[in-house]
Amino acid sequence: MHKRISFPLALAITLGIALWSACKKSDFQDVELGDHTAEFAFPLFTSDLLLKDLLFSTLNDTLSGDTVFVNADNTMTLFYSGDVAEKPASDIFKFLENPLPIPLYDSVIINPISAPGGVTIRVADILSGNIGFVLNNTTPDTLSGYFEVPQMSLQGVSFKVSFVVPPNVTWNSGPLSLAGYHLESSNNTLTFKYFAYRPDGVRVRIPMPGGFDVLAITFGLKFTYVEGYWGFQWYQLTRDTIEIDINQTELKGDLKVKNPKVVMRISNSWGFPTRGQIKYLSFIGQQGEEIPLISTGVFEHDSFDYKDFAYPSWALNEVGQTKYTDITLDSSNSNIADIFNSQPTRLIYEVDGISNAQLDPNLIGFITDKSTIKLQLRVELLLEGSIKNFGAEQVLNLDFGEFGSLDSADVEEVEFKLVTENGTPISSDVQIYFRDASGQYIDSLFLGGPKELIRAAPIDANGVASGITRTEEFIPMSAARFDNISKAKDAFLKTSFTTANGGETFVKLLATDKIVVKMGMKVKKRL
Amino acid sequence: MLFQYKSLNFNRFRVFQLTGSLLLAVFFSLQLSAQQELMLHSLPDVWHSTATNPAFFPEDKHFAIGLPGIGLDAAHSGEVSYKDIFVKSDGRTQIDFTNALAKLDPVNTVFFEQRIETASVGFRLPGKIWLQAGHANRLSGAITYPKTLPSMIWDGNAQYIGQTVDIALQTDISNWNEWSVGLAKGFGNFNIGARAKYLSGITSLLTDANRQKATITTSDDIYQLSLSTDYAFYSSSLISAFDTAGLGFDLTIGELHGKAFSKNTGFAFDLGVQYKVNEQITLDLAVLDLGGKITWKEQSNYFASQGDYQYDGVTLPGADIINGSDSLDFATKLDTLNDIFKFKKTAQEFETTLPLRGYLGGNYAFGSRWIFGLGAYFQKRAEEKATVAVGASARWKPLKWFSLGAMYSVNERSAANLGFHLVFKPGPVQLYFASDNVLNAFTVKSSPAVNFRTGLSLIF
Repeated sequence: MHKRISFPLALAITLGIALWSACKKSDFQDVELGDHTAEFAFPLFTSDLLLKDLLFSTLNDTLSGDTVFVNADNTMTLFYSGDVAEKPASDIFKFLENPLPIPLYDSVIINPISAPGGVTIRVADILSGNIGFVLNNTTPDTLSGYFEVPQMSLQGVSFKVSFVVPPNVTWNSGPLSLAGYHLESSNNTLTFKYFAYRPDGVRVRIPMPGGFDVLAITFGLKFTYVEGYWGFQWYQLTRDTIEIDINQTELKGDLKVKNPKVVMRISNSWGFPTRGQIKYLSFIGQQGEEIPLISTGVFEHDSFDYKDFAYPSWALNEVGQTKYTDITLDSSNSNIADIFNSQPTRLIYEVDGISNAQLDPNLIGFITDKSTIKLQLRVELLLEGSIKNFGAEQVLNLDFGEFGSLDSADVEEVEFKLVTENGTPISSDVQIYFRDASGQYIDSLFLGGPKELIRAAPIDANGVASGITRTEEFIPMSAARFDNISKAKDAFLKTSFTTANGGETFVKLLATDKIVVKMGMKVKKRL
Repeated sequence: MLFQYKSLNFNRFRVFQLTGSLLLAVFFSLQLSAQQELMLHSLPDVWHSTATNPAFFPEDKHFAIGLPGIGLDAAHSGEVSYKDIFVKSDGRTQIDFTNALAKLDPVNTVFFEQRIETASVGFRLPGKIWLQAGHANRLSGAITYPKTLPSMIWDGNAQYIGQTVDIALQTDISNWNEWSVGLAKGFGNFNIGARAKYLSGITSLLTDANRQKATITTSDDIYQLSLSTDYAFYSSSLISAFDTAGLGFDLTIGELHGKAFSKNTGFAFDLGVQYKVNEQITLDLAVLDLGGKITWKEQSNYFASQGDYQYDGVTLPGADIINGSDSLDFATKLDTLNDIFKFKKTAQEFETTLPLRGYLGGNYAFGSRWIFGLGAYFQKRAEEKATVAVGASARWKPLKWFSLGAMYSVNERSAANLGFHLVFKPGPVQLYFASDNVLNAFTVKSSPAVNFRTGLSLIF
């Protein structure tokens, strides 16, 4: 009996052990993930770049005079402007600002107005300034009386100042304000008078043994309006240089601007004719050579090219107005297009001013305290043209973040996918050089030279981009290279641009043209 | 608790870590259990077979004590086996999905039924009445997942560039204690039995059938990632936190230890009949877990994620980069993916339904040593179609205390199941082992399915 029982029990135990061992817990002690390779794909970045912003960034970074202007039709004009040359009225009024002592050797003195050469003042309104009188009584009698300047009046009353001076006493009127006085002179002179009486009523002339015993002194006179005759007068207006930095990169390229212009604008509120004499107007080429800007039908010519500037006329009662003269030199009237094809680096110009150059003896003119003559010259480049392999360089700051400290030991390979969606009519070959913190070269993005990462968008008959061209570039990279590059601190971007059809077709660059640059990454990693 | 997916250096990969953890949890569930019980059902003289029909009570026996028994029925769709996932390397177990992935179907299902009968007792009373009572712990679950989920976790998303892939898995897993009291009565050749079961839930994880969307799209542009979710699940005493606030995902799993009683309660009923047509033929029918529901109250929460999340990488200000006032900064916003799921946790009771099961059988006794039988089993889970298995068995009793048998059965996943059983009945002892598939019963690690039943009882 015992034997019959033990057999099935033994069998049962054996079966039980066999089954439970199949699922024994120890299989799962310290279980770990097996080594394998997985490949993950994820996006890195997307960046939109408006052509307008690109131009602002690349053209406005060094020279303050550059401006990119977005026109109403979204075309863009690049302005290279020179300094504003200004000749203000204060240059004219200076002649009476300094103290001017006028000895009154007689009781009536006619003193010429010390205006600039060729200028005859007949009417003036005084803004500010003072006049003073000194009287040293060299007579034995007390003198009383007044000084008078009959050509200066305030509200129709001539200027007068009274005095009473004992013998051997020097009387000083102190500064007397002339603000608001109106001056009229028919012959560019001012008449000073004094009336001195003895106690018995007899008018006397004061002896002047010292030469300056009776004085009138004006000082700090400023005018709001001066009217008179302006004769021939020459003065230097401006000499300046405009840098054309679009042509100043170290890289070479073939840049053609369809319709470059040089525009000179003169704003003039001087009330007499002024001639602008073009003493020098030349571009400087890539090799430093002078390339004169030659025009036809724009300037008059005598010994120099010149232009008579528009001005507000006294005869037409245009006091206070500003007149503008615009001189445009373009491909229709000058050789500027040819000059720009050679990519000049700067424009040098010199302009002088001549008043009443025609020597009109009857010319009556005016200036006010706000009158000025301004001249500015600028180069206007409507961004329409063509470029072929036109180079540009840029340093981009880099921060790889986590990737910089990534343990690349388990990375098997990396592949970047660089996508551009180009809405501009420009293609671009690009190479990126990665550099470390000390600026030392680490590696380049592409092995074997730059690649055409951006392909020009299609253009319409007007040269305007009419679509988007997508370019995809896959950039495989070994773990070692990736490890190296991920430590870079900046990227030196070297690119060259070519417009549509290999740079053979003129295109228009619109402010709204946009390039989208984006990058994704695939990482194959041992896990 | 969960296996920790090997840490990656890219934070953006952590989304895959999360789903990886969930998936691994699925496979680990296989270690908790490793039940279709056609074979046991064909052995009505074995005490534990009363679990398949409350009308069963061994003939001529008056008192039964059920000692521990375990039944397991688990399977993975397709041909994926334990060994395809868990491999030995240098004496250590490693998880390696390389082989498993090749065997997966586009949509895969893991199901498992485990029944651990701790103790039971039965009495025969005068008047052909039988009483029974017992306790069992049951685990019932099904997980459906798309192949793309483990594939993306294991091999990365690069293989799915330009595609939208489904990563949502559906689960219906419950673990509960079952306290039962049964009564059977004989009416001539007809026996009828009924059993009432008090259910005390331990843990449950149930996905919301109406919110099952979770997709990842990897764009073919620059691999932008788009995640779209309308996904939700209920959990009781299993997942207590789903924290996406930090750099990664912390899935806090509750303890799986069983509690005899809890606030998660419910009831279920078993009904069965047995009819002895004559001395040779016996027929039976049972419906189990009728009306079985558990209302989950303890640590019961609803976790929901809804939204569309797009990761395009860093947006760099082009003009600023060119003019040098900004950097090509790849570090910015790398952690955006951390919060993509944004599971919102809401305390909420929920209800799970026990799978409805049923047995239909018939035995024919040929002499004293042979019994031939036919059996059928069906199971119906909520939200799933019913599964049916049918089988034909032969049992040989060479000795009074020993029998063995075989069964050929057909079920949803295989038409080639050859089962067997061994029953030892020395004295009052009953010890048995039964499987509906003898091959996988002994090759658990290399089979995509496992089925066995074993147990011990004393019957007088």
